[in-house]
This record gives sequence, C-alpha cells and structure tokens, in this order.
Amino acid sequence: MISPAPSASRGLGRVTLDVRQDLSPWKQAAFVGASLIFGLAISIVILAVAGIPPLTLASELAGVLTAENLSGVLVQAAPLILVGLGASLAFRIGFWNLGIEGQMIFGGIFAAAISIYDIGPQATRLVLMGSAAALGGALWVLLVAFLKTRFRVNEIIATLLLNYVAMYFLFHLLYGAWQDAKTAFPQSTPFRPFERLGDIGYGVNSGLLIAIAGVLAAGWLIHLSRIGFYTRFISANPRMAKIVGVPVQTATIWIIAASGACSGLAGFVNVASQEGRLTQSYANGYVFSGVLIAFLSRNDPIVIAIVGFLIAVLFITGQTLQVFYQIPFTMVQMIEAIIVMAVASSEFLIRHRIRWLR
Amino acid sequence: MNLVDFLINWIANAPVTAVPYALAALGLIVAERSGVLNLTAEGLMLVGALAGAGTSLLFVGHPAVALLAAMVAASVVSLLFAVLVVVLRINQVIAGLSVVFFCQGLTGLIGTLAKWQNKQLSGLVPLKIWPLSEIPVIGRIFFMQDPVVYLTILIFIAVNFLLFRTMLGLRIRAVGENPAAADAAGVSVALHRILAIVAGSSLIGLAGGYISVVSVKLWVTGMTGGRGWIAVALVVFARWAPWPALAGALLFGCIEALIPHVAAAGIRVPQYLMLMLPYLATIAVMIWVGAKDHRGSQEPGALGQPHVREERR
Repeated sequence: MISPAPSASRGLGRVTLDVRQDLSPWKQAAFVGASLIFGLAISIVILAVAGIPPLTLASELAGVLTAENLSGVLVQAAPLILVGLGASLAFRIGFWNLGIEGQMIFGGIFAAAISIYDIGPQATRLVLMGSAAALGGALWVLLVAFLKTRFRVNEIIATLLLNYVAMYFLFHLLYGAWQDAKTAFPQSTPFRPFERLGDIGYGVNSGLLIAIAGVLAAGWLIHLSRIGFYTRFISANPRMAKIVGVPVQTATIWIIAASGACSGLAGFVNVASQEGRLTQSYANGYVFSGVLIAFLSRNDPIVIAIVGFLIAVLFITGQTLQVFYQIPFTMVQMIEAIIVMAVASSEFLIRHRIRWLR
Repeated sequence: MNLVDFLINWIANAPVTAVPYALAALGLIVAERSGVLNLTAEGLMLVGALAGAGTSLLFVGHPAVALLAAMVAASVVSLLFAVLVVVLRINQVIAGLSVVFFCQGLTGLIGTLAKWQNKQLSGLVPLKIWPLSEIPVIGRIFFMQDPVVYLTILIFIAVNFLLFRTMLGLRIRAVGENPAAADAAGVSVALHRILAIVAGSSLIGLAGGYISVVSVKLWVTGMTGGRGWIAVALVVFARWAPWPALAGALLFGCIEALIPHVAAAGIRVPQYLMLMLPYLATIAVMIWVGAKDHRGSQEPGALGQPHVREERR
C-alpha cells in the first residue's frame, strides 16, 4: 500500500479528527465535568450582564440552601423528579416524549375533576386523585403513541403541538365551567384540606413520597420487570427483538404509558401541593426540564432523583431572582439549554481526538 | 355581516398569516436539504421577532431595517446550532431542542429587561397595486397586500432557482443526500451545511420579524406560539420541496386567519377551543402524510446523520 505523500506545511497547519477507540471512565467523567463547569460559567456571565453579579447570585443560592428554604426545594424537586422519570422512560424506547407539559395539564385536570365532582370517600380521595392524574397523563401520551405506530406521525412534533392543545383546553375550563366564582380569576375553586398533599413532618411534603415511589417503581420497571428486559432488547436491536418474538408493540405501549403516567403525577403533585387548585401555569417550563434531567442522568432513576433535586435548586433560585430582581423565569430554561449543549458537546471530545498537524 | 363579506375578509387576511409559515418552512427546507435535521425554527423565529421589534423601538426607521435586523439576528444565533451539529456533531434532535429552549429563555430575558413588552410598533403600509387593486374582490385579495407578501413569492422563486438550477444548490443537495460521496468529490460537507443552516435561518428570522413588526405589531414573550413547530411539520408535508411548502403555508394561513374572523362575525364558538385549530389541523395533516405511501418524497438521504470522514460505517 502506498502511503500518501505528507502534505506540505501550510502556515498554521490543519486540524484533523481521530476516532477514539475507548477512553477511561475517569477521563470521560472529567470531560463531562469540565463542560458542565464551562456551561455554568457562561450562564453566570449572562446573568452578570443581566444585572445579577456573581456574588449576589452566590448569596441567593446560599439562601436557597438554608434549612428553612430547603423544604421549598424538596416540594419543587418532586414534580421535577417525576418529569425526569417520564422523559427517561420514553427515551429508553427511542420515543421523544416532549409532551410532558400537556400530560401534566391533563394529570391536573383529571385530579381536579375528582375534587370538583366530589367523587369517592374522603379517606381515599388523594389516592383516587393521584390515580386519575396518572391515567390522564398516560391517555394523553398514548394518543401520540397510537398516531406514531398507526400513521408514522413524528412524535416530536405531535407531542409538542398537543402541549398547546392541552393548554387551551385548560384555559377553556378555567375561563369557563371550572372558574372559581368567588375570585373570578382563571383558577378552579381551592381543593379541600383532605384533597391536598400536606407535610409529613420535618418540612417534607408528601409529594416527595410520590416522587420517591416513582423512582423505585421506575427502577423496578426497567431493571427487574419483564417489560424492562424487553425494553433493553428493543433499544439494542428492534428488528432482532421482533424476530425472536419479543412483544415489541406491547412493551413499547406500556413504557410510553408509564412515561405519561409519571408526567400526569407531576401535574397532580403541583396542583395538590404547591398550588392547591387548578391554575393556568402549573405545568410551565417542565418539558425541557424533563429532557435535561433524563439526559444528564443517562436515564438512571437514582441519578434522576439527584439531578432533579439540583434542578429544583435552580428553579427556586430562578423564582427568587424573579421576585427580587425582576429576572424573568425563562432564564431557568436558558440555563438548562446551555447545560445540555455543553454536556452534549463533551461527547464529541470523548469520542474524537483533535490533532493539530503541521 | 353576510357570507360574501366574511369570505372576502377572511381570504384577504390569509396571506398575512401564511407568510411566517411559508418563510420558516422554506428556511428549514434549505437547511434540511443539506442533511441537517433542523428543529430550531420556533426559537429562531422568536429571535427574529425580538430583533425586529427591538430595532423598530430603538431606531425609529423603516420597517425594512427591522426585518433585516431580524434576518441577521437569527443567522447569528443559528451559527451556534451549526457549530453544535456540524462541528461538534452532537445529536441533531438534542441540539435543535436546546437551541429552541435557549432562544425562548434568551428572548424572554432580553425582551423583559429592555422593556420591549407590549409596545406598539408602526407596522408596514399595504402596497396598492393600482389599477389592479380597484378590481372588486380580486383586488382586495391579491393586489392590496403588504410588500413582504409579494417579496415572499420572489424569495421562493429565487431559492428554488438556487437549490435546483445552480452549482451551489447541487452541492448543498449532494451533501444532504450522500455526504461521503460529496466529500470524496471534493465538496466540503461542513462548509455547505453551515452555509445552508445560516442562509435558511435568515429566512426563519424574517418569518419571526414579520410576525412582530408587520402582523401583530408588538413584542410579547413567546409570541410565535408554536408556529415554528407547525413549520417543521409543514416541511414533512411538503416532502422537502419549496412549492408544496408554499401551498401548505397558505392552507395554514387560511386556518389561522379564520380564528379572529369567526369571532368578529359574531359566531359563538368557545374561543379557546377555536385557538386549538392550527395545532389540530397540523396533526391531521401529519396523519394524512403518514397514511399515504412515501414514493416521490424528496427527503434527503442523509437527514439527521452527522458526517465524520474518519469514521468507518
């Protein structure tokens, strides 16, 4: 074989890419960590330009993490962990569930319907509301699963568009039949005390118990159950899975339904703990949070719980900055996007070696 | 109000609502023809809308300047997407979504901090093509639109020519169809993909600027309201061909224009259910596309695949 003639050196030389065969886990973690820090640094710079000096930011962050504010973070962590689980379950089967907000809305609506129509005894009311919420979220995403399997409709666009449909349906209820007659605001009448998720002691909200139960259930579903085994098979090689007789359709439907149920529960947790009634905006900003949490935790339920907690810190800090410094809450979304871009970019450095040829 | 008046008012308004869909879909087609799965439209339209509104508020100039600023701003932000998918080769869905949510956050931040929210803009005066504008019915619909409506048709002709009749267009399509072969033939894959993304994004920016500067005449956070996602669906519906995209845009323009006119005509329909119409129509169109067979689609062969020369496949 004739080797190519060495190219003449041209000024600065040129950059070439080599594909790395493998890289030690420690170096991989170092690349991910470095890019995460890079993303956070960019976010801090943008916030500084927007009028929040890094020192102010640090003191606000420290304020969020004090004992009395920690319970607020834990309340916020519950829906975030649940949407992280929702996104990750669907990711495992190659289904982009970007309809988390729509599923949260229908979860909230189903739960509120139980309250408004006064269904079931008081003692089991919360259980009934939670089950209804899970059902509502699951039904809303199964609509897209059906469209995808039957008509090959792209689920990315379909789930995103159905968020708008769900939002307008919520508005239709809140400006119409379900409007609170007393306040005339676009809100439902407040839930009764036995319909709300209260504290279970030490300032911990019972919504967090639902999130932890979700983590355990998701862990069981993907690591121990038959469906989880099928899921791993399908994501590794869908055609082979079909050939050897794995019930691809059934497993896919169950995983997607579980994903929607998690988002529906997140909606229930938000309306029954933070808001105490159906409001216009209880699902705002959760789509990309779900994607981010699933992406950063590589779809592992335990890691989702940790990342969900960290994003809750970001959420609460964002709320503080909104109240005291008039920084709009969309800032949280921007920082989330920067983090995803930075961490996704680190994959390039993990997979390729950049060489400078002279 | 009688039925004829209603129909004329409705159809005469459809081009204004159709222009953003048409331009955004065309911009996406240019980028996707080079093999890059582009989901950024919703975000870049917001960037264009904010840049257009901001320019008209800061420098009271001709709206054309604002629209130009919208194009430039979206192109600049799209460079970020181009670097992510072409240079760093990260998953194009993740990159596209990140850029959309980044733009939503950034435009919300800038719009609020600069206090550009809900400030009335001057808008653009419709062009009367006299004497054709005096023809009853037809004059109202075809010859009394604003200049951008006519410009959009010219842009479609130009982009169509560029993509299918020039060497540059051939190279862009080659890079999208088979990057390895194009690379072997000496066509720079990275360069042409970046060029297609940035050029297409300028059209997406114009679509956004048109919404804020010409159509709505103010800036509101998140004002594009999912039109970018509808444009993404429109590209699939049009099978990556410009003229069908224009036809699809007109269809969606008619659907969107129907919403205010039904209320104005005094027909009692629940308004929030009416607002679902464009999204439900998009899903209906996607079902229709999925149900028919896929022969004749011009979907680029390498859509969504990053190109790494050194990687063996």
